[in-house]
Amino acid sequence: MKYFAKKLAGLIATLLVVSFLVFLAFAVIPGDPATAMLGTEATPARVEALREELGLNAPLIERYAKWIADFVRGDMGTSYSYHMAVTEMIADKIPVTLALTAISFFLIVVISIPLGITCARYMDGALDHIIVVANQVIMAVPPFFSGILITLVFGLVLHLFTPGGYVSYRTDWARFLGYMFFPALAIALPKIAMSTKLLRTSVLSEMKADYVRTAYSRGNGTRAVLYRHVLKNALIPVVTFLGMALSDMVAGSIIVEQVFNVPGLGRILLTSISNRDYPVVQAIIVCIAFLVILINFLVDLLYKLVDPRITME
Amino acid sequence: MKKKRSKNFTAGAILTGVMLLFVLVGFFWTPYDPETMDKSVKLAGVSFAHPMGCDNFGRDILSRVLKGSGTTFLVAVGTVAIGTLCGTVLGAFTGYFGGIVDEVFMRINDALFAFPSILLGLVFISLLGSGKYNVIVALGIAFVPSFARIVRGEFIRCKNLDYVRSAKLAGAGDLRIMFVHILPNILTVLSSSVMIGFNNAVLAEAGMSYLGIGVQPPDASLGRMLSEAQTYLFSAPGYALFPGIVLILMVLGFSLLSEGLKE
Amino acid sequence: MRAKALKKILLASVCTALTIALGACAGDKASDTSQITIGIPQDIEDSLDPHKAVAAGTEEILFNMFEGLVKPDSDGNLVDALAESHTMSEDGKVYTFSLRSGVKFHDGSLVTAEDVKYSLDRCADTSNGDPLVPAFSAVESVEILDENTVQLTLKEPDKEFLAYMDVAIIPASNKKPETNPIGTGPYKFVSRSPQENFIMERFEDYWGAPAHIDRVELKIIANADAIVTSLNGGSIDMFARVSQSMTQQLSGDFEVLEGTMNLVQAMYLNNLVPPFNDVRVRQALCYAVDPQEIMDIISDGKGTQLGSSMFPAFGKYYMEELNDLYETDLDKAKELLAQAGYPNGFSFTLTVPSNYQQHIDTAQVVAEQLKRINVEAKINLIEWESWVSDVYAGRNFEATVVGLDASSLTAPALLDRFNSMAGKNFINFSSDAYDEAYAKAQAATDDAEKTQYYKECERILAEEAANVYIQDLPCFVALNKKYAGYEFYPLYVQDFSKLYLVEE
Repeated sequence: MKYFAKKLAGLIATLLVVSFLVFLAFAVIPGDPATAMLGTEATPARVEALREELGLNAPLIERYAKWIADFVRGDMGTSYSYHMAVTEMIADKIPVTLALTAISFFLIVVISIPLGITCARYMDGALDHIIVVANQVIMAVPPFFSGILITLVFGLVLHLFTPGGYVSYRTDWARFLGYMFFPALAIALPKIAMSTKLLRTSVLSEMKADYVRTAYSRGNGTRAVLYRHVLKNALIPVVTFLGMALSDMVAGSIIVEQVFNVPGLGRILLTSISNRDYPVVQAIIVCIAFLVILINFLVDLLYKLVDPRITME
Repeated sequence: MKKKRSKNFTAGAILTGVMLLFVLVGFFWTPYDPETMDKSVKLAGVSFAHPMGCDNFGRDILSRVLKGSGTTFLVAVGTVAIGTLCGTVLGAFTGYFGGIVDEVFMRINDALFAFPSILLGLVFISLLGSGKYNVIVALGIAFVPSFARIVRGEFIRCKNLDYVRSAKLAGAGDLRIMFVHILPNILTVLSSSVMIGFNNAVLAEAGMSYLGIGVQPPDASLGRMLSEAQTYLFSAPGYALFPGIVLILMVLGFSLLSEGLKE
Repeated sequence: MRAKALKKILLASVCTALTIALGACAGDKASDTSQITIGIPQDIEDSLDPHKAVAAGTEEILFNMFEGLVKPDSDGNLVDALAESHTMSEDGKVYTFSLRSGVKFHDGSLVTAEDVKYSLDRCADTSNGDPLVPAFSAVESVEILDENTVQLTLKEPDKEFLAYMDVAIIPASNKKPETNPIGTGPYKFVSRSPQENFIMERFEDYWGAPAHIDRVELKIIANADAIVTSLNGGSIDMFARVSQSMTQQLSGDFEVLEGTMNLVQAMYLNNLVPPFNDVRVRQALCYAVDPQEIMDIISDGKGTQLGSSMFPAFGKYYMEELNDLYETDLDKAKELLAQAGYPNGFSFTLTVPSNYQQHIDTAQVVAEQLKRINVEAKINLIEWESWVSDVYAGRNFEATVVGLDASSLTAPALLDRFNSMAGKNFINFSSDAYDEAYAKAQAATDDAEKTQYYKECERILAEEAANVYIQDLPCFVALNKKYAGYEFYPLYVQDFSKLYLVEE
């Protein structure tokens, strides 16, 4: 219980820091949302009137306090450019980014774990060598380039999917997932390689441990030793890595969304920054930070599941 | 295992050497002016005159890749330099002295760390405006938290070790202990994070240029070229493939080398 | 046991992933409503209020949902729309419109004279300082004569004012015009999802010839480099402005229609900032930039060279002879630069909106050409939204490559902005001669005289080298062969109601 309280306090503190930093950043960024909103029709009088209306003339701290108060009540403000409620805008896009991250995470787990084990089991075999080399290379491929290659191979040559043919999850869940599979793959590829490599190394080093010899001496076969004893311990560094990879993937998704024309949080974030649409930027950044922190928390929980030696203190 | 490590190192060293040479050549010589347009060879394929073909303006792709990898390299070096320098100083002071400043700083640092560096870079770019040098500054700042974290951890570990204590007893000042006694001892840890940081910087620059907020045309940049090549993916796949491959080789060389060094 | 369980879970997961991926590929829509998906380069993130929308990209879409008392046809002539007929008083001061009866708004209510008065008054409303539609500052009053007749009186006679009567008529009862647009056009608004799409549906009660296709989905493709893959992949059926090099990448499923974009593409110079405040520098740039070479490189020679702020669709106003004013001459350019005090050239920032590939391409060629006279143009790509706020509204720039279109086929639509006091004069052009000629053109009642003064304005723009004029871009529309009926307008509009499905 104490553990949760502590985590929660940390989470809130971090969110406060993040949101304040964003506020600060936008206070110094050149460019004025009122001018951006009025566009070609801006005149000094109208800009000033709009600034007053938006409350942009109040001191920074006062604006921040007001934002927090609204946020706590579930009101994230209204987008300057779309004239829509930010909550409504973001609620629509969060599932997209979440799905992208979830699918790639899923891919990483289901591909890298069996692959890593296979490599370790048949160490120095031909398969192992091929995978090790392939891993090295794949790790060096930036996600947007694998995205381009995937578009070329699976989209244009093999016609497995329609490049740019994103279907909203509201229209058709299955087709949405089918499309998202490919951008998710682009994000997942380098992580798959890294996690496979990590697992292989970790299994190999665990195999040298004393308890493994004991297990063998009790007459267990390689398979049994591997799955029953070694894997559990060997997975710990992988879990750590996956936790770190997740926050990276949220960022990676911004670029990959661009390659595959997926309208997720990243796309909105990009345009909102250039529009000086603060309410939207603020909300998205806080959401991403929240996601990242939440994920880290879940990873901690997973730790306990994998390794009972770790206590939650 | 021993044999394997050296293999990694050799392969990495050779590859990095070749890429460095490639970049170096690009600084001083390119077969064509990378920005001169020639309408007669628009999207020309691979040939003797143009080993990597030409782009949609009839510019020689090899020349642009040479120039572009130089830009990418420069940005990565600059980024890592800023990140390491500021990160080391910040990490050293907070780790060594501790206290309330350390607490506050680490809160902010943690908050920033929860933030992917490219996202931070993006915020800084909108602050500074785009362009080669702004990308360096933006990414450099974005890289500070991760370096600061590593250095801080090392300083906390080292500050109570025997050799530091004896130096203190000998009357050495704090600054001297920090930068003369402790710093050399953490260089191995630092150097491997520098290598990883370099790779991340290469990828981040390419990513930002791909999004159109990094290096600006007509300056060649590998990320920007990849973005432009997307239109011609089907008819001129070489336009995308060559810059992509060079980018991969650059990152690959460094990651092999850092792995070789680590062991 | 555990080992087996783990393996089973893994296997099951892999299978699920594959099923989802494959299942999705097989899925195909089977619906009996006709639909077309059209790619657009920027989100419609403006206000959806037709009187407040700013970007040309928004206005060309709103054309399908809103109509004025008159509207342009595909030849650029103004034809009666919500008005059944109109008359202009002899002196051009009073316009009388008799309304078409039985016209319905998208919400089902009838268009009344009150709605018309409300809409026109709204455009002329000065409570916020300037009227919503600047030209409406000339309006004296709008009166309802009877339930089918509305009369508009101007402060000064203006025989061309009819051109502004295409402003949208909207219902007075609509409380949220910014997010819930209600008009009278052939298509009605269904929904929009930021950065994703904008959906319209055929309006069944349209007064005129109804649209053919039931549902139009506009899909935002902010990344210009993804247009070709999206077209070839089949995720969009049409894209209105693709570049020449893109058309060569399209598969056989597409027909490429060719027209002109009807805009003035130029390197617009901020006439207030040095060195561009010196006419010799501006002229030097004109001598160095070779429009023909630009057209050769970016569109295989297609396009129409321009010498001033006027394009050929305007017919009588267009002056082809101005194209030859600055025959490319590098020596002359260098000489002018030296005279202006820049014998070694200079460098400046060339700001370009990142969503218009044609302008980016042109800017790159221009930068290359300027190197020949030692002038370095540093290209800075910014998002369209930033361009509007920083360059256009803020006038905070040195030079920019964009295309300016005409909102109506009247000379003021293109020339008004160069009046030294004009709010839209983002290049800060200031010339007494110009202001005088423009005022005379406005005051003239004889058409020949008017034309002559407008031409004088064009000549001044060219001679003063207000901007480096380049071309009217060729317009390539990629349309899937399943559809036909696309019509080009001499204005910056897209008319989706004429599109229809080709029977197979």
